[in-house]
Amino acid sequence: MEAVYIIVNLLVFLGLAPLFEGIIRKITAKVQSRQGPPIYQPYMDIFKLLGKTTINSADNWGFKFAPMMAFASIVSVIAFFPLANKANYLTQYADIITIIYLLTLGGIAVLLGALSSKNTYAMIGASREMITMIMVEPVLAMTLIMGAVKMKSLGIDITMFSINSVGYGWSVALMLVVYLAALQAFVGRPPFDISEAEIEILEGPFIEYSGPNYALFKYYMMLKQMFYAALFVMVFIPFLNTGIYIVNLAVQIVEIGVVFGFISLIGSTNARLRIDQAIKFYSVLIVLALCAVGLSVYGI
Amino acid sequence: MKALEQLKDTLKSKFGGNIIKFESPLEDRLFVDVKKEGVKGVCKELFTQGGRYLVGIGYDNTKRDNTLGMIHTFAFDKDSTVICVRAWVPENDPVMDSITPDVPNAGWSEREYMDLLGMKFTGHPKPKRLVLSDDWPEGIHPLRKEVPYNLVPPPAENVAYQMDECPEGCSVVPVGPFHPSLHEPNHWSIFVDGETIKGCDYRGFMTHRGIEKLCTTQVSYNEVPFIAERICGICGSVHATAYAQCVEMVADLKISRRAEFIRTIMLEIERLHSHLLWLGVAGHLIGFDTVFMQSWRIREDIMWLCEKWTGNRKTYGMIVVGGVRRDITPELKDDMLRVLKKVEEECIVVHKAIIGDTTIHKRTKGVGYMTHEEAVQWSIVGPPARARGVDIDVRRDHPYAAYDAVKFDVPVVDTNDVWGTVVVRILEIFEAIKIVRQALDQLPEGKIITEMDDVIQSQRHAISHVEAPRGESVHYVISGDENRADRWRVRAPTYPNLQGVPTMLLNDQFADFPIILGSIDPCFSCTDRVQVVDIKSGKVNVMNQRDLERMSRRA
Repeated sequence: MEAVYIIVNLLVFLGLAPLFEGIIRKITAKVQSRQGPPIYQPYMDIFKLLGKTTINSADNWGFKFAPMMAFASIVSVIAFFPLANKANYLTQYADIITIIYLLTLGGIAVLLGALSSKNTYAMIGASREMITMIMVEPVLAMTLIMGAVKMKSLGIDITMFSINSVGYGWSVALMLVVYLAALQAFVGRPPFDISEAEIEILEGPFIEYSGPNYALFKYYMMLKQMFYAALFVMVFIPFLNTGIYIVNLAVQIVEIGVVFGFISLIGSTNARLRIDQAIKFYSVLIVLALCAVGLSVYGI
Repeated sequence: MKALEQLKDTLKSKFGGNIIKFESPLEDRLFVDVKKEGVKGVCKELFTQGGRYLVGIGYDNTKRDNTLGMIHTFAFDKDSTVICVRAWVPENDPVMDSITPDVPNAGWSEREYMDLLGMKFTGHPKPKRLVLSDDWPEGIHPLRKEVPYNLVPPPAENVAYQMDECPEGCSVVPVGPFHPSLHEPNHWSIFVDGETIKGCDYRGFMTHRGIEKLCTTQVSYNEVPFIAERICGICGSVHATAYAQCVEMVADLKISRRAEFIRTIMLEIERLHSHLLWLGVAGHLIGFDTVFMQSWRIREDIMWLCEKWTGNRKTYGMIVVGGVRRDITPELKDDMLRVLKKVEEECIVVHKAIIGDTTIHKRTKGVGYMTHEEAVQWSIVGPPARARGVDIDVRRDHPYAAYDAVKFDVPVVDTNDVWGTVVVRILEIFEAIKIVRQALDQLPEGKIITEMDDVIQSQRHAISHVEAPRGESVHYVISGDENRADRWRVRAPTYPNLQGVPTMLLNDQFADFPIILGSIDPCFSCTDRVQVVDIKSGKVNVMNQRDLERMSRRA
């Protein structure tokens, strides 16, 4: 029976990720005194892109393969994910290292696509993407490792729900702040949408992509941003555990929606930073994340 | 004009043999006729005396005395004077000394006449093709009188502009001919080391369609203001006013005071519109779309007002030779004051938000650095100059229209960077509102168009400049026969500013390229002097898709 939860996971993520994207667009539009596109616009975008001809403009396997790899990696992460505080059949077969690995694989796929598209702007985008990955992945890793340190286990559900058993400490509070600060970078929104920077490098890594391949990348980005929002809800706001699966699910989806509201407000009230300025910011985050893990070792 | 007399004496004593004569048709204009051997010396002297280089005007004089003319113009802002150095070279040996080594901003002006008139300037540091398209045949110089305005030479294959060599250890990032940060077609090769800009080369004039030629061969004086207005979609009235003022000067026409006031109001409303537009674009360029959307929303009221007044949201068609086309009714005056009040309130909010926003500070402070000295050296104009402590403003230094009757400040800051241009432009919004209010207050009675009775004499020269939102626009008219100008030269503010951009870009990050270029509020098509909507010339000389693909893929 536990296999059903995997399907629910996938349905919720695949079904709702474009909706949350639509919410971001709508809130951004409101902040900017615009009407904005209808909330279901991202679904339409994906459908439209999927219906177009595939153009393999770079003419090599890496270019073709990259979008599928990115999409597959994020879908696998979601399959392991204990959504609604319920570990599913697959969760026990993986650990947090798998999650970090698969998330990084998604980023690598973007790099692969960018580098094999042989476009100058994609190259710049790839180098920025790589720097961003190297600098913010540690924050994600530390968040999960902190739970692992507290629970002395690498199990996905055990580490993610560590707060339920050990409660809030200074280390968790610090990590929460760091995670929130890194959230915009995780999801590639202003002020950290540097690797796509439409105005100077024209969407960077994705410049040569179109049609279904681009749809996969777009879908990947939406799923990724929903995953990071969900991870935040899971790790830092575990209090509303009613024990009833459906209620838990509904509550968490609402919470994810709130996180998205936060993302879009930050995104629409900031200018894009330069990569050198972002690096300075990220390095502070890494140091703080390390401190949080250090504190958790001492049980603070 | 004591300073002017002194300058005359200096020139006489230093270059007496080379100076043919002085001529001063108006008290703030001085034309110096110089033998071609003396041009370099005289220009260098004027430049070191503090003259700001405006523009070079080349013209074909073959019909009269078999010469090609070249006029270098300098503005002395403190003395409210413009000095024009006129020289001629024989048509069969059109060689003149280049003044570019001394006056860097003359570089493009001289290159332009190498292309358009076939002149040669000895000692020019970069005698590459500037205006003509890559496949334009050698030896055809479109501004020569014998070349028809609608000549379309056969297109050629496999010709391309050679961009400058990339320096050792750098790689090339091509930007353009079409790129979201440019808005208009032109091509940059940015030489980067990592993400740091180490140099660049520019190839523009892709939309050059010979509007000057068209207006000196096909239409008459009175029609040109409407064409002039279409040189630029944003500062159209500026071009129309500058042109109209030139024609009024050659015709000795004094327009009514009311018309002058209405021109002032028009120009300031245009400035309001333009600065809000720029603020939006700048926000977009640094990835801050909320600034973009909000300032364009504020701008909307101004466009609505202009539609009510002139019938158009932009490209107002207000300015004609001899005055303006539409009056300001009392009802419109109330509308105007109401809109100004609303715009002012909203701009105060925007001003506060921008001054306090740390990400905007991070993206603009210290970016696009250019020293005060370099800005003077390159004759930078407008907000980019005023952001570098160069205290110039045509409205105050060389008053035209009714600017002598209104009080306003000229915001000058010395941060020498993009942030300075943001501050200057926002403060200018408030000054513009102030000017419109004063002008509405003092608006005198009278007619709005002054008729011209006499035929305009041929071969009279006039230069007029107007402070456009992005800097100073200069127009030069030489009157001709058949009720049309013999030569009309337009210099948009982007023309000098763009030449200074490589200095601003040096050692900045590639991510800053859009905002640095944006900080001069570039108007490439003005510089190219294109007509965006042109039904008269009909023929369009555009690059085909293959050219563009080749250019964009080459680097």
